[in-house]
Parts: sequence; structure tokens; C-alpha cells
Amino acid sequence: MTSYEYHRPKTLEEALKLKASIAGARWLAGGTDLLVQFNKRSKPLPPAVISLRNIDELCAIDARDGGLRIGSMVSLTDIAAHPAIRDGFSALTESIRLFASEQIRNVCTLGGNLCNASPAADCAPPLLVHDARIELQSQGGTRFVELPNFFRGPGQTAIEAGEVLAAVWLSHPRAGCRSAFMKKGRTQMDVAVASVAVRVEMDGDVCRSARVAAGAVAPLPLRLPEVEAILEGARISNDLVSRARQAASRAVSPITDIRSTETYRRHIVGVFVERALSSLTGGGRVSDAAEVQI
Amino acid sequence: MKTEVGFELNGIRVSAMVEPHDRLLDVVRDRLGNTGTKEGCSEGECGACTVIVDGRTVNSCLYPALEVEGKKVLTVEGLLSARNRLSPIQDAFVEMGGAQCGFCTPGMVMTTVALIERNAAPTDGEIRHALTGNLCRCTGYVQIVESIRRAAEKVREAEKEKGSP
Repeated sequence: MTSYEYHRPKTLEEALKLKASIAGARWLAGGTDLLVQFNKRSKPLPPAVISLRNIDELCAIDARDGGLRIGSMVSLTDIAAHPAIRDGFSALTESIRLFASEQIRNVCTLGGNLCNASPAADCAPPLLVHDARIELQSQGGTRFVELPNFFRGPGQTAIEAGEVLAAVWLSHPRAGCRSAFMKKGRTQMDVAVASVAVRVEMDGDVCRSARVAAGAVAPLPLRLPEVEAILEGARISNDLVSRARQAASRAVSPITDIRSTETYRRHIVGVFVERALSSLTGGGRVSDAAEVQI
Repeated sequence: MKTEVGFELNGIRVSAMVEPHDRLLDVVRDRLGNTGTKEGCSEGECGACTVIVDGRTVNSCLYPALEVEGKKVLTVEGLLSARNRLSPIQDAFVEMGGAQCGFCTPGMVMTTVALIERNAAPTDGEIRHALTGNLCRCTGYVQIVESIRRAAEKVREAEKEKGSP
């Protein structure tokens, strides 16, 4: 097969109906991953693609009482530029600043980044520490999945046949909440060697709650509950940060591959946890640590 | 099955019959003859195919042609003035030696157009960050960065002239 049918539905209802009626049809979001596969013919072409670009309800960010609803088809550029996200979700904004290139960020979508389910997906650790919930829609209705339960393995998610990722929900951050993201890659365009997001809710120098997540160091983007447990309820000190660093290095299960080694990945995850905590609770500058050389 | 797609290319309404798998790059180069836009890697890494769609840079090798319906596309050909003069940004690349073999240059120039549009005086760090998605195989990027810095100056000077009575 050299081509495929191309559908551009205007409503989600129409899209779900099409998906149900064409066996093997693929959803098409920004296309920055799928069209690479198509261009390279690295996988057989599907009989049809269903483009989600023209469905308004997937393309908007709404601030509601319950939090922010980010449509799955919103581009990363638009997410990073949104005032509520810029002000309340620094880890996410920073992960987007360091995400691939401007040309990619302008078209690639949050839904696409999550549905690819790459262990190295840059947006996953920030969304994990911000307790994101995934809204899935099907002809049967809507269901919500907590992000840690959404990832099932490399390239595998909780999305079932006939479902589409409609939106990502974030709760409005509580007072005293701050977050940071750091990653290391050969270049910014390259897949991350390791990435870390940290969110803390501080009350003076006591950490009320903590979330720590890492990418590219396990088959899934991971929360690190062992590290969170060390931080929660504790007074932040050099000793505590150092213990968090060691726990983070132990908690991950990286592999050695073409991009890096297990040893280096364990090390850098610990370093990032330490730097993120320092910058969020006092000294240090996030931007220095987060910079990826080009 | 071919479908007609209509859009604005460099200020002119155009249309083309496209296949579902055709990319914006194919339409711009092969159907409409605007070969300034180059095909490099075909996977969104090198930026040689960078064009501007509705004000934003995209890799035209990853942009389905059918999705350009009703949109405004700017390619390097669209930067020439009515009298066929180079734009200040292109002039800056000539002046500072920002091109060697020239293959990456149209993409570099389009990225520069978008950068200067949102940041009239970018620092070298901001220029290098903006160039993340544009590869040059010939140079060490130094003259490209200098060209972009000079381009921003030229655009600011041109704006000032426009503004003064």
C-alpha cells in the first residue's frame, strides 16, 4: 500500500464513529512522530488516518473550577504560552522550553506526546508531579485515568480500542507549590538521557508534600515514592537533600544503551533531584541546571 | 484519491490536487515550483524544509498537505520585495557570510523571520536556542549566529526608518 485515506472530522462524535467503522485506522495528532514513521516507511501504512486537528473541543485550554482542562490537540507552544500554565506549572513550561525544536513544538501536541508513551517523553515527568488526570472519550462515554495508570509500557497506554485521549486535567496549584524540570540529552533535539521533575509544597522550610518523577530511566515515566516519602513532612536540610539524591539514584531502573549507561543515568537522576530541591527551596538557579547544550 | 487544497502561498491564493500522503513540502516544491524550501532529513530533525504557516515555523516534511487548507504559508521566496530585492534578513546572511553550501540557508532564514518577529533584539543564547531545529553541516554556526544578530539590527533600523517622518 502506498497511501491511506485521510479523514478530517469536525466533531469528536464524527471522529469516534469513523474510528469504529474503519479497521486499523490511526488517530493523527500533530504528526511529528507518526509522519516520520510514514515518511521512512518504517512500519506498514494504516488503511486510514483520522486527523484530530479540526475538532475544536480538543484544541482549547479551559480554566475551570476543578482546574485546567488542556485539550489533547493543543500545541506545546500554546501550552507554554498560556498564563495559567506559565504561572502555576513551571516544570511543564520548562520541559516544553527544552522540548525538541520550535518547529516541532509549534505542531506537536500534548496528547500525542503522551499517547506515544515513550519512556523518555519530556512532558511526562512534569505531568506526573502535577498529578495530571487523563480524560478518555469513546462512543460509550467519558472516563478518567490517573497518569501513573495511563502508561503501561514502552509505546503502551491504558487507551482501549474506540477511545481517544480528549484532554489532560491539572488541579490549580495550592499556595506554596513550586516545581522544576531538568533533563540531559546529547542535544536538545535528541531523546533525553534522563529527566527529572520535582514539585514541593513548602510551609517555611518544612516540605508539606512532594512529588518526584523521572523519565528515560525505566520502561515507563516513573513517580519515585521512595524519594517523596523522605521529603514529606521533613525540614529541608543539606542532609535531607543528600538522602533524597541517593534514594533517587537507587529508585530508578535504567538500562545501558546507545545514548548512555545505567551508571550515568542513576547518577544524573540523583544530581537533578538535588539541584531541583536546592533551587525550589532556596539557593541555586533552575535555569543553569536545566540548560541543555546545543 | 486526490483532493483539492486551497491556501495562500506568499500572499497569493493557490490550489493544488494532493494525495492524502502528500506533505506541504511536496506541494510547495513539486506542484507549485517553489524550490527554495529544501528536503533534508524528512523526519523533522534538520529544519531545511522550514516554512511559516499562520505565523509559526513548521517542518513542511511533517505537515500533511491537506491540513494547509485555508492557511497562510510563507516560504523563502515570499521574502523578496516587489522589486525582487532581498529582505534585510537575507541581506544580513549575505553580508556576514551566513551561507556556505547554502542548503540549510532557506530554513535558517525562515527560523530567523519567526525569531525576530517575536524578539526584536535576541541575545546569542536566544539565537542558538531558536536554531535548535536547524542543522548546518558546513559551518560551526558562528557566522549564522552573527548573521541573525545583524539581521535583527537591520530589521530594527528598517522599522526606525519607517517610523520616522
